[in-house]
Amino acid sequence: MARIFGIDLGTTNSLIAAMEDGAPRVIAMGGNHSALLPSVVAIAPDGAITVGERAIEMEPHLTVERDGRVSAIGFAGGQYGAVIRSVKRYMGLGGDEIAPEDRARYTFADLSGSVVRFQIGKRVLTPSQISAEILRALKDGAERALRAAGKDEKVERVVITVPAYFNDGQRQATKDAGRLAGLEVVRLVNEPTAASLAYGLNKRATGNVAVFDFGGGTFDISILSVKEGIFEVLATNGDTHLGGDDIDRVIVDWLLAELPDALKLDRHVWNSARMAAENAKKRLSDVAETPVAVDLLGHSIRKHLTRDALEKMAEPFLARALKRCELAVADAQLTPADIDAVVLVGGSTRMPLVRQRVAAMFHKEPLCSIDPDQVVALGAAVQASVLMGTQGDMLLLDVVPLSLGIETMGGVMERLIHRNTTIPTSVAEGFTTAVDNQTHVDVHVLQGERELAKDCRSLARFKLGPIQPQPAGVPRIEVTFLIDANGILNVNARDERTGREHSVDVKPSYGLTDDEIERMLEEAIDLGEQDLEERLLISYRNDAEQILGALRKQLGEFGALVDVGERGRMDEVVERLEAARTGTDRELIAKLVEELNEVTTPFAERIMDAAIKLALEKKSVEELS
Amino acid sequence: MPRKLTIDLGALERRYHELSRMIHPDRFASSAARVRDASLRATATLTRSYRTLRDPVARGLYWLELNGEKLAENNKRVPPELAELVFEVQEQLAGMHDAPADSDAACELAAQVVARRSQLQATMDASRAELERNFVKWDQRPDEKMLTLELKAILSSIAYLRTLIRDVDRALENSKAA
Repeated sequence: MARIFGIDLGTTNSLIAAMEDGAPRVIAMGGNHSALLPSVVAIAPDGAITVGERAIEMEPHLTVERDGRVSAIGFAGGQYGAVIRSVKRYMGLGGDEIAPEDRARYTFADLSGSVVRFQIGKRVLTPSQISAEILRALKDGAERALRAAGKDEKVERVVITVPAYFNDGQRQATKDAGRLAGLEVVRLVNEPTAASLAYGLNKRATGNVAVFDFGGGTFDISILSVKEGIFEVLATNGDTHLGGDDIDRVIVDWLLAELPDALKLDRHVWNSARMAAENAKKRLSDVAETPVAVDLLGHSIRKHLTRDALEKMAEPFLARALKRCELAVADAQLTPADIDAVVLVGGSTRMPLVRQRVAAMFHKEPLCSIDPDQVVALGAAVQASVLMGTQGDMLLLDVVPLSLGIETMGGVMERLIHRNTTIPTSVAEGFTTAVDNQTHVDVHVLQGERELAKDCRSLARFKLGPIQPQPAGVPRIEVTFLIDANGILNVNARDERTGREHSVDVKPSYGLTDDEIERMLEEAIDLGEQDLEERLLISYRNDAEQILGALRKQLGEFGALVDVGERGRMDEVVERLEAARTGTDRELIAKLVEELNEVTTPFAERIMDAAIKLALEKKSVEELS
Repeated sequence: MPRKLTIDLGALERRYHELSRMIHPDRFASSAARVRDASLRATATLTRSYRTLRDPVARGLYWLELNGEKLAENNKRVPPELAELVFEVQEQLAGMHDAPADSDAACELAAQVVARRSQLQATMDASRAELERNFVKWDQRPDEKMLTLELKAILSSIAYLRTLIRDVDRALENSKAA
């Protein structure tokens, strides 16, 4: 079975890591063997894609030539291509949800839609497609690095981290990005939880841990209870639009304060200022004062920034973050004194002010012994090994960050699943008709903590039915809302009277439909891509390999549950699938995968039964349900 | 675990962790789709069960269910001991609804309602504590019909308060939006 890799798809930088001899290690890639791949994507007019440091060079900015003259270079957008930075801030959002400062940075196609679309020349691209390019770059870079080390290994299965506070739409967009990059996203893991795994690995820790994750674009605080290898999240809170980027923006405003508005908005000027601001901010973690300069055409800006001034700029953002911490600790039904350890994650936590404030709130020095830029990726690699079954008894129990409910009469939000409920979790709700012979019931699913539906975020809508004509109030349809281990909603409906499953066509309020993704997979945007046929064939071959591998493992462990006749039938299909797998007839492969699934279903169900019986032996299920 | 109203929370948590280790979807990440699906549903049930048993109110409600009893739905009867407080709150909510938005009267009423809400919350917390104390008492006399009636009374009171607090929160949000 292919190895599962851990990916941190960050706002500012992305990383890929894997377990190596029992310890997680980030895979260094690129020309300068860096562990960090800047999450910057350049799309040239001809469609060519560049990701990382080289893309930063293409970002519109001002540069000083050898003869001292300043010139504007890079893709300025519009028909000249574009360089997208911090695409994570746009993931899973509708056009009307983008923050004003984010809207001003790029050209968009039709902001009225349920998915943000960037306009780049004649092309229209979604944030998921752009994130997919980052994932593809991580995959290619890792495979190159492994080859150089003598290992011919492909990156196919991954764990991708997301901010704990990401809502359903943002999570789905991340999964879509993985799919578009040709990867199997085995699990989405929350960033703070991943970080706790990295810290908990060697120390077999026990106690309450707070993870303070302050990155480039998002802030998360998670409170966990760690006990004998079980990492149980008690509460989580955060802000998906709060990070180092916001501090940079304030510094840029200060830097460009004296410029006329027209110049302030110029992309070349702004980006150059941003680069200078970011570098100055980083330097001030070590020194108390630093010069900041931006060379413009005609004149230059030269100022001095002190750490004090920077801290005043950062203060309001830090205050927002600390407020979220208070809420999380309260939700966990603890006080700061009950927290045994605090962990700092994310580049922005390198600021001395952040360290001081966190220490003050929790009355102890925070831990930052693991590089705050790498710790999430390392944790993702640990979770990858848990999923591969190579991490002993370790288990992650995470929570859903936002309450989930439905809109009921009067425009009210009725909560079905409360925030900070451990996932997976499910709730069943009965629905019936309001008028005679009503053929469908509309359901509107929402996410959020407000009392009124209009103040919560629309997650999805679906119609229950068709319902047989009956008097009002007679039909009984039971809908099960299930939030899976990724924090994503799944819906099932069953007619209580007939016992039959209703098929539910859930229309997400934000995000791409399966059809749209299929179409995107077909429109290769990188000219160096393999053609469609080949990619589809590879994808079907992966399916085949997965089911064969899983079956081999199950027969190894539970072979006793299969009788001779059944085994004979399975082996026969396996043989045909093995043969087809190396061929090029993808229709045949798909057909045989389906056939194998059918033949092995009774076996699979027996395994599940056995596992449950083993787990619940000596106790009756009713005592727990 | 024995079927009693009082529960050793430590033991419950240990059992929950043990079972999670065995059937959690993370244990079946590479298995066939149907096995993963079954694990997902089984774990969701396990999580729900744990939450039900861990919370005294949910536990009480579940105990009633196991014994074929349930609380009356849409219980509009005000628990007698809360009558005065409830009356006051409802008057204030009506006042808030009628007062012109942003007026001084509206703001003042809102502040009063917020104070009442704290009172309601405190009353509910006290009821929950009483419930837990009663669990010990009731476990020692499992056959009494009185037990069921008393349990229903306290749970009804808590349910009523919960609904009232929710209505207060909605009214407060509505007035903020206005």
